[in-house]
Amino acid sequence: MELDVSTRDDGIAVVVPRGRLNMVSARQLKETLSDLVAGGSARIVVDLGETTFLDSSGLGALIGGLKAARQAGGDLRVARPTPAVVSVFELTNLDRVLRARESVETAFDA
Amino acid sequence: MPESAAGRGGEAGRPAVLDELAAAPHRLVLSAAADPEVMDLVHSMLEHLFAHHPQVTDPIRMKFEMSVIEILGNIVEHAYAHDSALPAVDPSEARRFEIQLLATDREVVATLSDNGMPVSLDLGDLSMPDELAESGRGLALAASALDTLWFERVEGRNHWCLACNLG
Repeated sequence: MELDVSTRDDGIAVVVPRGRLNMVSARQLKETLSDLVAGGSARIVVDLGETTFLDSSGLGALIGGLKAARQAGGDLRVARPTPAVVSVFELTNLDRVLRARESVETAFDA
Repeated sequence: MPESAAGRGGEAGRPAVLDELAAAPHRLVLSAAADPEVMDLVHSMLEHLFAHHPQVTDPIRMKFEMSVIEILGNIVEHAYAHDSALPAVDPSEARRFEIQLLATDREVVATLSDNGMPVSLDLGDLSMPDELAESGRGLALAASALDTLWFERVEGRNHWCLACNLG
């Protein structure tokens, strides 16, 4: 998996995991999200449009990032999930906690 | 929850497909060290299997792949939890696993076995943890995605059988 991280002009951090988000790559995502929050970026969008696989480890990393962001007064939102990702959100009933947004640009609009 | 997940294993609940698998010439088999790096190899095996079996639809592929990786992740994690507690592990005693994959007209099947620590679990009572929990979903996720999830420990080895029905 490759992980792209950028920060927009409005201060929102955008994280793009490309490829498979499994036990190995989940550690990398968790550290990246934790570093962002520690560095003052507590509003984060995770763009899942290029995440081809997600398991419970990847899910755990997203939940960990969500909790860290909220504790710092921000939030973590997920955008553009692929069918593989949606399938796991639904099986775990986490589609409410990790409500999928249609686009990265508007993920923090509402 | 799959019907056959109710037991802890044993001959009574043994999936019939295991006999078919052992004799299937087109099954894919891998034996390797139980380390995290091997997961990509198993993803590739699944890609190969699906490429040759178009009868396995995308929704089934996603659920099956996720379940296989969850169980493999469980094996790798337990192997490491044990080995990292030891001062030094003799390479000849390293934790290993074997995986077999097969697709038929009726189902897609995986068996995994390993020489790791005994797994203590009740497959009949797998529930999702609190929604903000960061771990503990793996087996419940696999159980909800599969039609068959079966486990037994025999002669120092853990044996798993996973299957999704087709059609």
